[in-house]
Amino acid sequence: MKRVFHHPPEPSHGTKYWRSLGELENTPEFREWLEREFPAGAAELNGDEWSRRDFVKLMGASMALAGVGLTSCRRPELHLVPFTKNVEWTIPGKFLYYATAMPRRGGGIPLIATTVDGRPIKLEGNPLHPASAGATDTFVQASILDLYDPTRSKRFVQKKKASTREEFEKFLGEFGKTMLDDQGQSLAFLVEETNSPTRERLRVELEKKFPGMRWCVYEPRLGQDANMAMQAAFGANARVLPKFDRADVILALDSDFLDCGEGDLETVRGFTTRRKVSTSKDSMNRLYVVEHRFSLTGAMADHRLRCPASQIPAFAHALATKILGATNDSALGSLLGNSQGGPNSFDQQWIDGVASDLMAKPGASLVLAGPAQPVAVQTLVYAMNAALKNVGQTLVVRQVPRNPKTIDIAQLATDINEGRVKQMFIFGGDPVYNAPRGLVEDPESKTPLDWAELQKKVPNIVRLGYHEDATSALSQWHVPLAHYLESWGDVLTAGGDYLSIQPMILPLFGGVSEIELMNMVLGGPKLEGPELVQETFRLTNPPGDFQTIWSRFLHDGFAAHVQPADQPATFNAGGAAALPRDSSSAPAAPTPEAPEIVLTGSYGMDDGRYANNGWLQELPDPVTRLSWDNVALISPEYAKTVGVETGDLLQITINEKSASGSAMKRELVIAAYVSPGHADNSVSVALGWGRKMPQFDELPYAGGNLKERSGLTEQAGFNGYFLRTAANPYVAVAGAKGVESVQVTRVGRNYPLSIMQEHFSIEGRGLIREATLEGYRNNNDFAKEIPGAEELPHPPPTLYSHPPLDAPQQWGMSIDLNVCTGCSACVIACQAENNIPVVGKLQVAHGRIMHWLRIDRYYASREPFNQDRGHWPEHPEMVFQPMPCQHCENAPCETVCPVNATVHSEDGLNVMAYNRCVGTRFCSNNCPYKVRRFNFFDYTQRPVGKRKIVGALNVFEEYFAPLTTKGAPDTIKLQKNPNVTVRMRGVMEKCSYCVQRIEEAKIAAIARASASPNKLIPRDSFTTACAQACPTEAIVFGDIKDPESGVSKMKKQDRNYRILEYLNVVPRTSYLARLRNPNPKMPDAKDIGIASRVETLPE
Amino acid sequence: MANFFPRWTNWLPIKMIVCLIVLAGGLTAATWYYATPKYTKVGYQPIQPVPFPHDIHVTQLGMDCRYCHSFVEVAAHSNVPNTATCMNCHTQVAKDNPKLQPVEHSWKSGQPVEWVWLYRTVDYVYYNHSAHVNRGISCFSCHGPVNQMSVVHIAQPHSMAWCLDCHRHPENYLRPNDQVFNLDWKPADVKPAEFVAKYGQPSGAREDFSKKKQLTQSEIGLTLKERWKITPPTTCQGCHR
Repeated sequence: MKRVFHHPPEPSHGTKYWRSLGELENTPEFREWLEREFPAGAAELNGDEWSRRDFVKLMGASMALAGVGLTSCRRPELHLVPFTKNVEWTIPGKFLYYATAMPRRGGGIPLIATTVDGRPIKLEGNPLHPASAGATDTFVQASILDLYDPTRSKRFVQKKKASTREEFEKFLGEFGKTMLDDQGQSLAFLVEETNSPTRERLRVELEKKFPGMRWCVYEPRLGQDANMAMQAAFGANARVLPKFDRADVILALDSDFLDCGEGDLETVRGFTTRRKVSTSKDSMNRLYVVEHRFSLTGAMADHRLRCPASQIPAFAHALATKILGATNDSALGSLLGNSQGGPNSFDQQWIDGVASDLMAKPGASLVLAGPAQPVAVQTLVYAMNAALKNVGQTLVVRQVPRNPKTIDIAQLATDINEGRVKQMFIFGGDPVYNAPRGLVEDPESKTPLDWAELQKKVPNIVRLGYHEDATSALSQWHVPLAHYLESWGDVLTAGGDYLSIQPMILPLFGGVSEIELMNMVLGGPKLEGPELVQETFRLTNPPGDFQTIWSRFLHDGFAAHVQPADQPATFNAGGAAALPRDSSSAPAAPTPEAPEIVLTGSYGMDDGRYANNGWLQELPDPVTRLSWDNVALISPEYAKTVGVETGDLLQITINEKSASGSAMKRELVIAAYVSPGHADNSVSVALGWGRKMPQFDELPYAGGNLKERSGLTEQAGFNGYFLRTAANPYVAVAGAKGVESVQVTRVGRNYPLSIMQEHFSIEGRGLIREATLEGYRNNNDFAKEIPGAEELPHPPPTLYSHPPLDAPQQWGMSIDLNVCTGCSACVIACQAENNIPVVGKLQVAHGRIMHWLRIDRYYASREPFNQDRGHWPEHPEMVFQPMPCQHCENAPCETVCPVNATVHSEDGLNVMAYNRCVGTRFCSNNCPYKVRRFNFFDYTQRPVGKRKIVGALNVFEEYFAPLTTKGAPDTIKLQKNPNVTVRMRGVMEKCSYCVQRIEEAKIAAIARASASPNKLIPRDSFTTACAQACPTEAIVFGDIKDPESGVSKMKKQDRNYRILEYLNVVPRTSYLARLRNPNPKMPDAKDIGIASRVETLPE
Repeated sequence: MANFFPRWTNWLPIKMIVCLIVLAGGLTAATWYYATPKYTKVGYQPIQPVPFPHDIHVTQLGMDCRYCHSFVEVAAHSNVPNTATCMNCHTQVAKDNPKLQPVEHSWKSGQPVEWVWLYRTVDYVYYNHSAHVNRGISCFSCHGPVNQMSVVHIAQPHSMAWCLDCHRHPENYLRPNDQVFNLDWKPADVKPAEFVAKYGQPSGAREDFSKKKQLTQSEIGLTLKERWKITPPTTCQGCHR
């Protein structure tokens, strides 16, 4: 007889955690995801096209064919191929580690690259330098895949015809002479921000040779306004760095500083160090967030206010008025004097609460504004910080020299439009894709021009690009760009520290780096190695012998003698007040008829530069749990107004008048996504998607054209840059900056999205446990209690014997939910470490994603869904929960495996023997955590979801086993970790606690022990890929038998709990409960962070 | 009604069953014998580009295994030597020997010598040399008397059962760690008194080993196993990841 386990009854009262609106509503679709390990049909081939019977027929035929071809029984003869001469440091099959750095617009990230047999396979943070302190983010982890991108640019192209480097050098020789003719008056460079001192040095040399040249830096996600305000407020070379570790109270105004595309690893770490709580006596910082959409920062907030992005200026004004009233700061007063703030509709109590909390901590508070906010907000925020005495305390200023001749893209566009630019170099980027629309006006026809048309006006363009993309197609020359792991270079961190970049491998396809190309333009001698960087390094006056200190620089990855110091700085109110200010910077609140459109960054694609990266395409957005697409986020309330649901297409139209008065209409059709917690009458579109790439549909194993998609162009996501103009780069709202009207209408069609929020839903109670800091102090054991526990049998019954677990070291993991920001670096790190395949959009929709580690995102709210009124919770909170295999000691998966493919090891791991697995999937059906993944197809070997191949049989899309060519592209194979088996079709897999690292450590300890019994692995000497990547040290792995290990100490804390503990599966992974630190004086304080409190029903 | 089936058909089912049993048994036995690594692998002796005689180099010239297989103590792979290693001697010794022509060619052209891979473990097995040779398991245990071979052949089946034989009973193979690379070592070479002075004896031993005339392999093995805490993994993750 089948017995169904009954979880404790759900409390009818109190806060509820939910993954999606579908869960709140308890829709049949959600029940399906909840009750089945794989949804109906997931175990079959694509139901509508292929029945199982068809498959057997076809397989029968292929078996017969295979029988005919069965010729040889011996294994093929393979060869051992040693080097001719030994290569320095190389031991075949052993990992070698080198320090390098990843250049990023916000500052370089110091890294350690793992190489094996000459190929880099994994990147980790450099623990010697605080800018990464051993951690990484998603972009760093995924950048290794970019190196091996099979569609990256591999050739020199002249006028769309393949050319060679020699030809290009010849061209450049003559080109250089023409440029000299007019002193470079008609020469322009369009580059991205890389923070490279060598590039800056070469630029100055170029400026000496071509005095008239232009140098334009364009970064779609760097706010021009923010930069202007910073320079006016603190001086031309100032760089303002927030010090989160010193701040007790933080207010983020539309600032997503926990996103590493906007902040960086140091800000994330600084913020979370102040949220680490080991006992109830510890203190925590407090975070207020005012934002229009749920961001990672909003998810961490103690108090979050939904506010349209266009209303932030009004909010800042109201808050500044409050602060001015209390502090009487003259600088703040002078700024407020000339900016208007109309009447506002904000909750006065909320503003009062924030203001008094900020003022209670002078010098230890911090107010931040996101780069999307206009100059008025940026300067006001600096003034508030100055009034709160934060400048020099939580907001430090450093001098990072800037070349004053840099121009912006609007200036460059004007120069091109007026025919002043004849030669242009474009380094990286993809301006045709991501430059603002309608930059200038055609002088004759008076119509707005996009970048693509401007580019046609320049007779000679040399494009140095990583892909042959849209910009390359409109250039005379395309030069392949080298990856940063292929070239010499240097970079400054956000704080101005000097990092080295050394190549891990020779350029795979003959790529050229930026500085190499600049050297060619300068006519410098041919480079053999790091000469250019060495020359820059010499200018830093390294002490002692140059060779020694240069080697040290490469070995450590940074120059210890370059130590930029914080400068004493004062807020220059006069400079800030003198900035030009748009008189309409405080527009009226958006209405359902005239909503605002907000363009945000993307957690996966950044600004579009990772568009060809399968890992990042497939990575579910932490907030929406959507992969392979971006969407227009709207609130449930607004969705009702427009009459759409998630997946329905919306048409966004913005009518704008340019400065000279010509009309500009911008349109975008995009799928809607109903996002609880989003501001009403506001539509957020993430930038960076919908970038057309060469051979995009040939992206390895990333296919999955949904049939319904025909009619929409081949794309991944929707290009938000279509809505972007230079005047309104982030926010478009009617009545401001020339925007005449904003319309959002429904198209009446549907677009298939691969949303994972309901996938792998877990049944059970007490998955998330949460309290306020105060609640924790009152009840230290809150995490041990779950509602309905009294109804559970005690002690839990057991049928099976507990495994012996007699090894001297026992592995376990602890995850601190209080500092997990949901950034997903661990997910990509796991993917890179464990050879996890990309499965494609269609497969993801079927629930077949292969990620071993998923991050569950829960909303929490007190107000339940009201079916009658159709009313959704308006102010839900958000909690993230990383979910790897729990490594249960009494593992339910093991008892049901008919072939003993999943068994327990003596050190407590639940291990998978892939070669034994016959694919019954009993184990995953019996896993209460739903962490097992099945290889439905040969994802690493054969393309899934490619176009129609066998026309006559009417076979489409999914899988053609023997009919497709086998084998991954060679470059993709180069990335694979040689210590992890590449799994094939029909095999179950799951998180192994990085068993390859455990075994490597064990073997190293044994080899060291030699003829002695001391074979224990030193304490905390290695860790798993996810724990190593985690920027906040939320994940800690180690020996739980050793009471002094990091993980044991975490498990001893009173916030420690194990989910579904009442099933008596004894998981080795445990969690530390989430804490929130609400301000009791705030109006919403009573509803925050009390989600899992056990409450008694009112009498 | 006449008999439809003749009388001899009465025995037919039984005959068929007997035949089937014999056939099935024969097939099983044949598979058992012919399809296991013991038959398919052992004795495999491919032709190498250079007929490198281990017997001359090791037994006659007294070279250590680690001169050529230099990373065996630190790495998972026991490397085959670089051309440079060969040329350390062969620029002087036997440099005109025609058999050395491929090495000579490699040295001049920079193209490596392609040795035929003998001991190829399948991709899902992660064997590690350093974990074995540092802990008293000799080359001999897996590769046989290589020092006697003029052309190397596979000496042991290298099947999973064969691996587990040792992982379950390492005492049958352990030897003093200074004898790991001495392929001619025998338990009889051990001097009991010296051995006990250096390594002691198992706590459960019934007699004093140092008084014995000769030690057996299992006595030596048990001593070392206890002294060095040898606990070879017998669960999957020891070899499969």
